[in-house]
Amino acid sequence: MSANVWAVIRREYLQRVRSKWFVISTLGGPLLILLVMIVPAYFLVSGGQAEQKLAIVDGSNVLYERIAPYLVNEGLEVEEERWYPDVVTSLRKEATEGDLWGFIVLDELTLDTGEAIVYVTTRPSPIRQLTLQSAITRAVMEYQLERRGVDAEALLSGGDLSLELLSEERTSTEEPQFWVAYLGAFFLYMVILFYADSVMRATLEEKTSRIVEVIISSMEPWHLMLGKILGVGAVGLTQLLVWIVSGFLIVAGGMPLLVSLSPELMPVETLLSALPGIGMVTLFVCLFIFGFFMYSGLHAAVGAMCNTDQEAQQVRLPMVMLLVIPIAMVSVVIVQPMTAMSTWFSLFPLFSPFLMWARVVSGGIPAWQIGLSFLLMLFTVLAIAWIAGRIYKVGILMAGKRPTLPELWRWVKEA
Amino acid sequence: MIDTRYAIRLNGVTKRFGNHVAVSELNFDVPRGAICGLLGPNGSGKTTCIRMIMGILHPDTGSVSLLGAPPDDVRRKRVGYLPEERGVYRKMTCTEFLTFLAEIRGVSRTEGWKRSNDWLERLGLGEWADRRIEALSKGMQQKVQFIATVIHEPELLILDEPFSGLDPLNQDVLEEIIRDFHSKGTTILLSTHLMDQAERLCERVCLISNARKVLDADLKELKAKERTGVVAVRFEGSNQWLEGPEIDYIHESNGELQLILKDGADHQSILKRGLQCGAKIYRFDLVEPRLHEIFVRHAGTESIGDAGMPKNVTLELQ
Repeated sequence: MSANVWAVIRREYLQRVRSKWFVISTLGGPLLILLVMIVPAYFLVSGGQAEQKLAIVDGSNVLYERIAPYLVNEGLEVEEERWYPDVVTSLRKEATEGDLWGFIVLDELTLDTGEAIVYVTTRPSPIRQLTLQSAITRAVMEYQLERRGVDAEALLSGGDLSLELLSEERTSTEEPQFWVAYLGAFFLYMVILFYADSVMRATLEEKTSRIVEVIISSMEPWHLMLGKILGVGAVGLTQLLVWIVSGFLIVAGGMPLLVSLSPELMPVETLLSALPGIGMVTLFVCLFIFGFFMYSGLHAAVGAMCNTDQEAQQVRLPMVMLLVIPIAMVSVVIVQPMTAMSTWFSLFPLFSPFLMWARVVSGGIPAWQIGLSFLLMLFTVLAIAWIAGRIYKVGILMAGKRPTLPELWRWVKEA
Repeated sequence: MIDTRYAIRLNGVTKRFGNHVAVSELNFDVPRGAICGLLGPNGSGKTTCIRMIMGILHPDTGSVSLLGAPPDDVRRKRVGYLPEERGVYRKMTCTEFLTFLAEIRGVSRTEGWKRSNDWLERLGLGEWADRRIEALSKGMQQKVQFIATVIHEPELLILDEPFSGLDPLNQDVLEEIIRDFHSKGTTILLSTHLMDQAERLCERVCLISNARKVLDADLKELKAKERTGVVAVRFEGSNQWLEGPEIDYIHESNGELQLILKDGADHQSILKRGLQCGAKIYRFDLVEPRLHEIFVRHAGTESIGDAGMPKNVTLELQ
C-alpha cells in the first residue's frame, strides 16, 4: 500500500483515538457493564443489611431451628425470643425504637396451616415477603414430613430433572442463547452503522472545509477514501476489542466474586455459560469488518455527493430503512434458523452481518453457508469499493446541487 | 516529447461543465523559473484552468503538461498547490497538520516535523505550533495553509488567489516570501484578480476573460508596447479641454486623472487645448499603462462589468 494511504490511516486513527469522545465511550462501555452488574447486586446486599435484624418468637418450639439457617442464608440476622405473655408488646417497643427491623410470631397453629404473623417497621420487598413465607412453609413441611418418616431434605431440594436431546435440530430458544443472538445482531448493527456514519461525516467535513482539494492534489481520491475507511475501521476495531476483552475480564473475573458475595445472583451465572467462545468472538469481529467495509463504502459515496449534513442524512435514509428488514428478521431467524427464508435473507450480503450472527448463534447452520456468505460479502465489498470510489472521485470536488441518479451513473461510467 | 523549458504547458485546452464552457481553447505556457500571473475576473475560468494543471480535472480536449508530462502523482508531489478554497483540519495542531501534508507528498515524518517548526517560527507562529488550528485567527490559518503549500520544497508553486483574505501587512509578508522563492529558482504561477499585486510581482501575465485567453505576454514588453495612450494629468481650472475626440475614457486614481486615449490619437493636441483653455496644468505625463488599463483595453469594459470587476473604472465628467 502506498505511503499516502498509511499517512491517511495514521492521521484518521490517531485523531479519533485521541478524541475525548472515543476515550469516554471506550472506557464507558466496560464501566457500564460493571455498573449493570454491581448496582443491583449492591442493592440486594445492602438492602438486606438495612432490614437485617429479625426476632422470631417460636411458640411451636420446633420451627426456629429450621427457619433460622434459611433466613441467615438470605442475609438476615435472626435471634430467637422466648415466649412470655407480654412478648409482643415489648418486641414492638424494641422495634419502634429501631433495635429490630421486625419479628415473627409462630405458634401451634403455624404447624398446621403455615400461618404466621410478621410485625415489621418497614414494608418488605415482595421478594423478601416471599422469602419469609417460603422459609416458614418449608420449615412446616419439613417438620410434618419428618414426623411421617419421609426424607424431607431430598424431596424439598427439588429433585433432579435431566434433559436428553433426541434430535440434532437445535434445542430451543433457551434464554441466554436467544439474548446473545439478538443483542449480538443488534450490537453489530449499531457499531457498523455508527462507524460507517463516521466515514460519511468525515468525508463531508473534508469536502465542506475544502481541505480535500489540497489532499487530492497530492494523492489519488481513491487512496484518500481507502485510507479514511481503513483508519475509521481500525478505530472501530480497537474499540470493539477493548470492549470484548474487558467485558470478558469483568464477567469471567467479577461474576463468580459477586455470586459468592450474594447468592441471589446465582441464576446470572447460567448466563456465563452461554457467553460466546473464541470462535464466536472471531466470527463477530469478522462480521463487523465485512459489514463495516460494505456500509462505509456506501456512506463515503453519500458523503462525497452531498454538501450538507441534512442532505446526506436524506440520501442515507433509504439505506437505513432497508436495514429495518434484517433487524426485524433477527428474531424470526433465531427461532427458525434453517428455513429457506432465513437462509436466503442471511445470505444476502448487506444483511449477512446481522442475520448470519443470529443464525450461527442459534446453532446447526452448515459451515459452507458461513463460507459462502463471507465470499458473497467479499464480492460486495469489492463492487461497492469500485462504484463508491468513482462517485467519490467526482463528487468530492462538486459543489452545488446534489446529483440525480442518471448523473451519478454518468460519474460511475466516466470517472 | 519532454520539454524542459516549460514548467507548465496548456495546449488547446477546453473544459465544459454541462452547457457551460469554463475554459475554451486555451494555449498557455509558463517557462521554468518564471513568475507568472494568471489574471482575470472572478468566474473567468482561472480556477478550472489551475485544477486541470493539477490533474484534478481533466480537459475535454487539448493537453496539459506539468513539469514535462501529463500531471501524475509523481509530478504533482513536486508542485506546491494552494487552492482558492482552502481548508484545514481544525482539530489537528499546526505541526501535526503540516507534518501530515508533508508526509503525503513523500517527505519523511521527522523531516516534515522539523520543517513545520522552522516555518512556523519564520512566520511568527512558533508559539502556536502545538495549538489546534481552530484556535488560530483566520490570518494565522492562512499562513499555516501557505506553509502547507511549500513544506515539501516544491519546484513549482501554483497559488490560486494567495492574497485573498490577508491584511496588508501579511500581504507584504507573503509577497516577500514569494519573491524569495522566485529568486531561488522556483517557478511560480499565481492567479489573482488584483491587478496591482500582479503588476508588482509578475514577469509574465496571462489574461483570461470569459473562458478565453485575452493576452499572454511578458509584462515589461507588454507595457512598453502599450505605453502610448495613457496620460496622467493634474491641473486647476476648467476641465472643458478634457472633452475631445482623442480621449476614449478617463480614469481617476489617487486624485489624479488618467486619460486613456483612443488608438493612434495625438496627446499633443489635448495639451494645446488645455493651454488655450487657460487651465493651470501641473502635470501632463505620458505614463506606462497600468495592468488594469491594459486589461480593460483588451477585454473590454463590458465583459469586466459582467464578471464582477469594479464598475466605476470610468469617470463621468459634467
